[in-house]
Amino acid sequence: MINPFEAFKEYKYRKRALPLDDIVASKAMVVNKLMEGYQHLLDEEVKELVWLARENTIMRAYALAEEWTRGIDYDVEDIEEFCFELDRIRKAPYRIAGPGGLYLSALCNNVKDEEVVLRIGDMEGRIHLLGYRLPKGKRLIVEGDLGDFAGIGLEGGELIVRGKVGNATGAGMKAGRILVEGDAGHRTGEWMMGGEIRVEGTIASIGQVGFGRIFERGRQVYPPITRPRRI
Amino acid sequence: MLSQESFLRIWSSVRRKHLFPELPLPELVEGAGKVAMEIKSKRMRMDISFCERMAGRLPEEEVVEALMDHGVAHHTCCPWDFSTYLKLYAQAKKVLRDPKMARRAVGYFTDVVADTYCVRRGDTKLPQLYRHMERGEVEETLVSLYQEIWGMDLGASGHGDVVRRLSRIPYLDRKKWEENVRRFARAIKPLLEEAEDEENPMGEHGPSDFSSEEIGQGLRMLASQGLDSFREIVQDLGEELLAAGGMGRGRGNPVDVDVLFYMKLAEGYALPVQKVPMEKSGSLYPYSHSPWEVGKPIKDLDIWTSFGKLLPGVSQIWERREGEVFGSSEGTPDCIVVIDSSGSMTDPRKRLSYAVLGAACAADAYLRNGAQVAVYNFSDALRGGMEVLPFSSERGAIYRTICRYFGGGTALDLRALESLRTDDPDIFLITDMQITNLRKVVDYLKGVRSRVTVVHIGENRHVQEFKERTEESGHISIYPVERQEDIPKIVLGKVREYLR
Repeated sequence: MINPFEAFKEYKYRKRALPLDDIVASKAMVVNKLMEGYQHLLDEEVKELVWLARENTIMRAYALAEEWTRGIDYDVEDIEEFCFELDRIRKAPYRIAGPGGLYLSALCNNVKDEEVVLRIGDMEGRIHLLGYRLPKGKRLIVEGDLGDFAGIGLEGGELIVRGKVGNATGAGMKAGRILVEGDAGHRTGEWMMGGEIRVEGTIASIGQVGFGRIFERGRQVYPPITRPRRI
Repeated sequence: MLSQESFLRIWSSVRRKHLFPELPLPELVEGAGKVAMEIKSKRMRMDISFCERMAGRLPEEEVVEALMDHGVAHHTCCPWDFSTYLKLYAQAKKVLRDPKMARRAVGYFTDVVADTYCVRRGDTKLPQLYRHMERGEVEETLVSLYQEIWGMDLGASGHGDVVRRLSRIPYLDRKKWEENVRRFARAIKPLLEEAEDEENPMGEHGPSDFSSEEIGQGLRMLASQGLDSFREIVQDLGEELLAAGGMGRGRGNPVDVDVLFYMKLAEGYALPVQKVPMEKSGSLYPYSHSPWEVGKPIKDLDIWTSFGKLLPGVSQIWERREGEVFGSSEGTPDCIVVIDSSGSMTDPRKRLSYAVLGAACAADAYLRNGAQVAVYNFSDALRGGMEVLPFSSERGAIYRTICRYFGGGTALDLRALESLRTDDPDIFLITDMQITNLRKVVDYLKGVRSRVTVVHIGENRHVQEFKERTEESGHISIYPVERQEDIPKIVLGKVREYLR
């Protein structure tokens, strides 16, 4: 009788190590570190699954986020991957959006690259508070939609959103530029202190603006342009 | 030009290298020379012009071997089967939103996985092939990626940012493929938009790569994920699925996607049918052996001729044939499927209708057992709201009639139903029981000599009335269906006493 396994007699399985293994392992390590940092932030900031977006809580959470990300050698791709890691986790407190946005803002503001591109168009959740205190010289391009408070407290950087944004975009921004290619929600430019917001779609409503300019579909809507009265 | 002898020798060594996959012998065919190979129903077809053109830079044997490695790895590693292909496609489509672009992205992704798998195993000429191949924009980027992740100089450069994003994807982690293809699609999207007309030199991949059995299996898996995703993907890949024979309807015969959805979903249930003694009937008997393949059921495995092993190509299964037997053997009678499609029932084209699914499962069960099925689809039948299909074995017509939705009042025309009955077939009635002439229907069903299976959707006072009035009738079985999970509990033709 013919042994059907005869052909396997001399077979030896060899598995060659590829540089891919090292790249994947090192990148996974960085993302794990970023997750650990975020976990610390949540442990300190989110008590009993409640987090309120107030000025002092935002400032404190951001300072903690900067502290926990300091020393981690990450790049723009790591930030993007972290966004999707966050999106994948279904359980609380990871789904509480505020700290996540601030943590991501800290990552974007302190990354080596001047330009940060986040392709998050297929993310299921929306990131709030992204672009917080984006400094001068930094350009954050988001391919996808953002939640509320996009570009809050902007400090001279440029935030480009290739999608729509939620409410209170550019709230309290001091300088810089926000460009939204889609629509913007209510109270856009709330407590704005300077800079410029350009919305290529429609703005649901404008907030109480201090200084700065807001454009809707290329037309300046704040401060309103008044024509000299004909006598 | 490579001799047939050398070609067979290379194929033999490649098969051995990949542990003897169950694949047909590849072919060398005349082509335009732009695309190295294509796969049709698992058969690799390599372009002679491409191989000859490459022969100037690389021995022809090495070109052919590399192409065979590539093709076989698609079968043994990625995408492996059509179900996996559909999963990958669905994920890529979420990111790219364009069917054509999603197909291209999945094609490139499976290429990277399959090629990396070959390189990881060693002893492949694929790196040499990529080093010498003419490259477009996308291919140049992918070869740059290969340089990075394989650690070899392949003479490619450019698109550093895309390569950086691509190189961090764990391609060989099968569990993460769905997530990985999304990352891959996200990274490669600008390139795909830029090089819109660029052909994949390693061949476009799609449903035609797979056998019709695999396509059927893949569609069953897809149907289990819901109507909307099924509709979207089948509409995207429709033409090619039809050409590959996966629609089960033959070429040039357009199929209704919603009907196909219920057809494929019903195939996944396989409801049992109780057989009855017949005057003359056929039963399945072990008749001959055939090789077992991955995907075939193992219940008919013959352990004696399979050396006690479960290996494709080695193990053997019994092929069963129907024998003509006179006397006391059992058989399956024909069945009339009576389905309520009145306004109180769910429209099967808007949401998953348990009534339609139940009826489709029943029809599938009788057809699988060699019986014929008639369909009586009714709403306000006395006013013409009904569709009747006489006994038939044609699945398409049966499922189409089952899926018809009237959405009006509910009354059964018993004369029309009676006209279908010849030789006491089984009756399968699925309804929510809110029938205007329910009493007459009950009296009629109590009086027939057939086995009657009644499935009611939801509970109401009419159901109670029906149950009370048929309690004494041993030939009527009643099953409730509240959820999709209740459908497998139905046993067709189960009777407490035979009338004969």
